[in-house]
Amino acid sequence: MEWQWLPGHLDDLAAATVQHLQLSLLPVLLGLIISLPLGIVSVRWRWTYPPIFGVANLLYAVPSIALFVFMSQYVTGLSVASAIIPLALFTLSVLVPNVVDGLKQVPDPVRQAATAVGFGTLRRLMQVELPIAVPVIVAGVRVATVASISLGSVAGIMGLGGLGQLFQDGQQRDIPSEVFAGIVLTIVLAFVCDLILVVVQRALTPWTRARKGAAA
Amino acid sequence: MITFDHVTKRYPDGTVALDDFTLDCATGEITVFVGTSGGGKTTALRTINRMVDPTSGRVLIDGQDVRDKSPAELRRGIGYVIQQVGLFPHRTIRDNIATVPYLLGWDKKKARETAMELMARVGLPTSMAKRYPFQLSGGQQQRVGVARALAADPPVMLMDEPFSAVDPVVRAELQQEFLRLQAELHKTIVFVTHDVDEAIRLGDHIAVFRTGGTLVQHATPAELLARPADDFVASFIGRDRGIRLLSFHNADGIELHDAAVVAGSADRSAARAALAGVSGEPWLLVVDDARRPIGWLSQDALDSVPETAELRDAGLLPIGNTFTVGVDPLRSALDSSVLSPSGRAVGVDADGAVLGIATQADLATAIRTVAAGDLHPHPLDRAPDEPAEPAGDA
Amino acid sequence: MSTFLQFFLHWLTSPAQWSGPDGVPARVGEHLYYTLLALAVAIVLALPVGLYTGHTGRGGFLAASIANFARALPTIGLLVIIVQGLGIGLLPPLIVLVALAIPPVLINTYEGIRNVDAELKDAARGVGMTGTEVLFRVELPAAMPLILLGLRTAAIQIVATATVAAYVGLGGLGRFIFDGLSRQDYQALAGGTVFAVLLALAVSLVFMLLRRLLVPRGVRLQEKA
Repeated sequence: MEWQWLPGHLDDLAAATVQHLQLSLLPVLLGLIISLPLGIVSVRWRWTYPPIFGVANLLYAVPSIALFVFMSQYVTGLSVASAIIPLALFTLSVLVPNVVDGLKQVPDPVRQAATAVGFGTLRRLMQVELPIAVPVIVAGVRVATVASISLGSVAGIMGLGGLGQLFQDGQQRDIPSEVFAGIVLTIVLAFVCDLILVVVQRALTPWTRARKGAAA
Repeated sequence: MITFDHVTKRYPDGTVALDDFTLDCATGEITVFVGTSGGGKTTALRTINRMVDPTSGRVLIDGQDVRDKSPAELRRGIGYVIQQVGLFPHRTIRDNIATVPYLLGWDKKKARETAMELMARVGLPTSMAKRYPFQLSGGQQQRVGVARALAADPPVMLMDEPFSAVDPVVRAELQQEFLRLQAELHKTIVFVTHDVDEAIRLGDHIAVFRTGGTLVQHATPAELLARPADDFVASFIGRDRGIRLLSFHNADGIELHDAAVVAGSADRSAARAALAGVSGEPWLLVVDDARRPIGWLSQDALDSVPETAELRDAGLLPIGNTFTVGVDPLRSALDSSVLSPSGRAVGVDADGAVLGIATQADLATAIRTVAAGDLHPHPLDRAPDEPAEPAGDA
Repeated sequence: MSTFLQFFLHWLTSPAQWSGPDGVPARVGEHLYYTLLALAVAIVLALPVGLYTGHTGRGGFLAASIANFARALPTIGLLVIIVQGLGIGLLPPLIVLVALAIPPVLINTYEGIRNVDAELKDAARGVGMTGTEVLFRVELPAAMPLILLGLRTAAIQIVATATVAAYVGLGGLGRFIFDGLSRQDYQALAGGTVFAVLLALAVSLVFMLLRRLLVPRGVRLQEKA
């Protein structure tokens, strides 16, 4: 591989990285905001779980390319939104099950005790159940974040920005080092975000011992 | 006072958990609900704080229907302790205990101080305040559970098999502590257990439930042991009912003789002289200078003791157990006589000095009063500072 | 929108789509071929590792790290650079798809075996089973639901992502998508998407069947409880 392309384009790399952060992290936030109420509803009213779960699963079976194209063609045009909305939908397939699992694994005696000491339903959810569910939920956010950063590169080849542009450009102009740089940056970005989330989780939940991560 | 007024709980599939249950639980007392599973004891408990709503009938606390308040408001005024404790894993011990004060909007500082006081009260080192539940043992966790229930000083406490999940040694400790607390606090407590011994040990009154949600008997522990309402209750109480009943009678009325008590420093002839004064008494109790018992000496063994030897150096048989007059119940006296090689009970005072010996005949007289139904209430395992009942007469 | 649907239905029903090397059946067949191949390789690589690390309890951190790393790999970028290195062919997309499929299979297998009730493993050893017997007779059947879930997740991800094979000149349903993209033929693009989703649903159904076949009745009933 020849590396001459790299030194002259460090600014481009930086810009692409920052843009990629935007278009892959925002969807996770969006996905979380959507999946929290969805998950809470699924646990409270059990019968809603199969349909919600089914839709979330269906979403992630859709080839990402298609969704990006669809959005950019018919809905939001060639803007970052065309990448963000599909990515947010993809995160639902991880986040909704994790919110549900997180809430379900709150031990029953704890829930009973909370009701019995006089927590109302909403207060119990906010002050007891959700905090206890945090480790499982954050495990899901980690997977969603990594996946989103990885998937976000597909948006790039649609011309929607981010590190994916490097892949498209590198392929079209046959510059392997550019592609390689893109891959490395994607991986590094993913690992750094994952690490930050681990630290955040440890800070949020000093009461946990070492916990296993959620299954994929 | 907690009143159950014809409370029935029927489930959609036809199961009857409670059947026309009517009972009064006296204020400031511990009422224990016991019975077989499916008997409705836990269901009845949970109608008090509306964790279960009756199909018909009312539950009243001090005359007020529990349905008058919102459930959350009602529950903040009732302490609730369950078997698996249910401590909040994400909160420190101190914040767990302060849960209801926080809910009630107390000043944070005051809430925390109350929590620390309670920790000391339930016997937990205050250094544990900032720890998390998973760092505590089962017994410690349950103490936190009790403290949490007490934090807002509710007049009523509900306890659902709180000590069942720990081993017997820890359970006995917790029961002891619990009785001590109640002696200070005088809460109105409803306590559910499947262990009839625990019920007898802790309850001021006991309510026995049978499968199908029926109340079979409501009585004090002594009454329950002496006069079970029917075969079901009798078999539920289990074996050795009579002997267990003896725990509820004091030993103060037993006649004690001290003629056969001899000092260890005495010699054989002194012993013979002592024996001569008591007819047909084949055993001597040898005591030390503080009059504490050393051992038993039989008449036959006396013959082989050298003339000038001190009695205390002779081959004495071990004491077994003694019973403390004015403190221990009749059961302890019986126990002492079973364990002593002479078949006699040894009564001592608070310092351990021998007051006298009770023969089988003396014990039999005392036991006869029990059989006659003449109840001399003995405060069983109550806090040490509580005065013993005045000695009854055999 | 309605005109789009009209065109789409037209595309769907015209006979040209259903015959020849460019037709739907051929593309579905190619797509299925890539999927099964990638899944098979992923299983061969990840399943034993998952079983071993789950059973012995060692290497869990390594397994999680590998899975994390594989998940972070950008499919397109990886595909492009492998093609640039190895040239066009089946291998580049295969490598990429296998990399994609390894995390779900590895993690779910590891977690599944790991989470088998410790008392169960203890009892098995107690009746005299060797380590291998414990793994295959006790842990594997108990972990089957989670393992199958991992396989299913992997399969569906592969089906969805195998569309990228077309990006580097291969066949499969991605052909409709990418050709449609360059020709601005959005009916074809929609068609490719729809069939990819249908294929994913079919895969789901197959796994439901596999669940019935492979998960012992006792385990299944216990799950329901």
